[in-house]
Amino acid sequence: MKQSRSQRALGRLLPTLVLIASAIFFAFPLLAMARFAFQNLQVIDLGWNNLFEKWSISSVTASFSDDFFAEAFTLSLKLAVGTALFTLGLLIPTAVWVHLRLPKARVFVEFLTILPYVIPAIALVAGIVVVKPHARWFLNSDYSLIPFYVVLALPFTYRSIDTGLRAIDLKVLVEASRSLGSTWIATLFRVVIPNLRAAIISSTFLTVAVVLGEYTISDVLLKRTFPSFMAQYRQSDPRGGYALAILALLGTTLLFVAIGVLSKSRSTRPQQVSRSQENEILV
Amino acid sequence: MAFTHTSPKKNEGVVATATTPSFFFVLRRVSAWSGLIPFFLFLILFLFIPAVSVFSQALHDADGSFGFSAMREAISGQNLDAFIFSLKFSAGSAFVGVIFGGLLAYAAATATRPHWLRNIVSSFSGVAANMGGLPLAFAFLSLLGRQGLGTKILNAFGWDLYAGDFKLGEVSGLITVYSYFNIPLMVLVTLPAIDGLKTSWREACANLGGSAWTYWRRVGLPILAPSLLGGFLLLFANSFSAYATARQLTDNSKIVPLRISFFLGGDISIGEDAVGYSLAAWMIILMAFSMAAYWLLRRRAERWSNS
Repeated sequence: MKQSRSQRALGRLLPTLVLIASAIFFAFPLLAMARFAFQNLQVIDLGWNNLFEKWSISSVTASFSDDFFAEAFTLSLKLAVGTALFTLGLLIPTAVWVHLRLPKARVFVEFLTILPYVIPAIALVAGIVVVKPHARWFLNSDYSLIPFYVVLALPFTYRSIDTGLRAIDLKVLVEASRSLGSTWIATLFRVVIPNLRAAIISSTFLTVAVVLGEYTISDVLLKRTFPSFMAQYRQSDPRGGYALAILALLGTTLLFVAIGVLSKSRSTRPQQVSRSQENEILV
Repeated sequence: MAFTHTSPKKNEGVVATATTPSFFFVLRRVSAWSGLIPFFLFLILFLFIPAVSVFSQALHDADGSFGFSAMREAISGQNLDAFIFSLKFSAGSAFVGVIFGGLLAYAAATATRPHWLRNIVSSFSGVAANMGGLPLAFAFLSLLGRQGLGTKILNAFGWDLYAGDFKLGEVSGLITVYSYFNIPLMVLVTLPAIDGLKTSWREACANLGGSAWTYWRRVGLPILAPSLLGGFLLLFANSFSAYATARQLTDNSKIVPLRISFFLGGDISIGEDAVGYSLAAWMIILMAFSMAAYWLLRRRAERWSNS
């Protein structure tokens, strides 16, 4: 059974078409948004003839000078930092403990960390609204979002730290450190954490990406975070709203590219098993 | 490799044979679990208590006693319409995502030229799969909104997108928009599975006289089936629970997450309040079933990718 050349060409045709169609589908919305955001023209006039006219970043600068921009953006940044620290403080000891003392609980803990998929943000916020009258002292504060953002990012962050721990010979490292007379705290900070650097950075970036993009909870609870500001700002100045969205996208893309580079540099280590790819998959 | 000696199975064996079930053994086990207390406490406070409160509110009748009336109401009348609408576009966009994501993953995995193609596709998928939310909605509003550039281009070719019942907030529009993150997510899920297909299987099939069609029907697709089906469930759950994108595209309260937020935000009497929580409760139940099935299918699919 020999495939003829034309048959083979036909076999390559479909994948090529799929690749081209995908490139168009994924590029066009972004290009359209770029024109909406950065061309100083009425949306209704945008056409082929003025494709290169009046490009400017005035929409961005205008949105930056809005009174509420700085407030919303700093709130989101603070939330991102808080969520990242909370995540690391909670997950590193937990994951290390599971690896060292309770390996048989590994699957169970992993299962717990994907529960945020079962209870999506909109259902979680419904629960928060129920609890709110009983914990106003806590939930009235903007920073009360932090633990819930930790929950939302949990599937990504735990996986990233867990993958990092799998890549090192934790037991040997810890035993060596302990038998040389180091305390548990010193072992954690001077042996475990330096070895997890890449995993810590990528889980931090993931957290930041999640927090800067989270809209559901902050919208329902009427918190003035950056995404809420963006949605509101688009109502008054559409071009500025689109421009902010593009900046947000660029920021998130950079974070994810950095994560990709980090996980690749990790996978060149000899001990790394085939799980490196898995880091990118969400569930 | 020394690395394999630290695998969990081995450790378990050592612990189980080295200690007899004595008082100290029990103590040891209790103290081993105690290290997870902070993590469990955190989950209870910020995940389980909210989730359980949703159910406790959902299971209240109008007079405050335990009952299923709100749960029943959440799946009847307009609420049922909302569920059907959401199921329709979620299943539709999951289906589209599985087909095109699968094809794209296959195209990227088998392409030999250019050599960076596969990397580009998988890195881009990593970014786009997480690109829900506002920016995505804005991008499609500027492409396919009434004044969108894509709408204009299609118009120039004589296709008036808005002549029919197309709207970004209706089934066809939502499927288009959600494909933007569903297709890349599917690529991420299926790439490892496609890598698991061995060329030797294909050769064996050809040697036994099978055509390409026979190979896919009898070998390739059956092996990929758990991954594809699992991917479908993941995409379905992903689309069903998306809030931010839908919220920007439309006010359509036929979309279940939007309907929940509508009930949460409004000044509505106690009786109707419970309906909003019941919608959320049904949603959690639906998500639980699809994610459980996904989890099982993923275990099944890993059989071929681990070797």
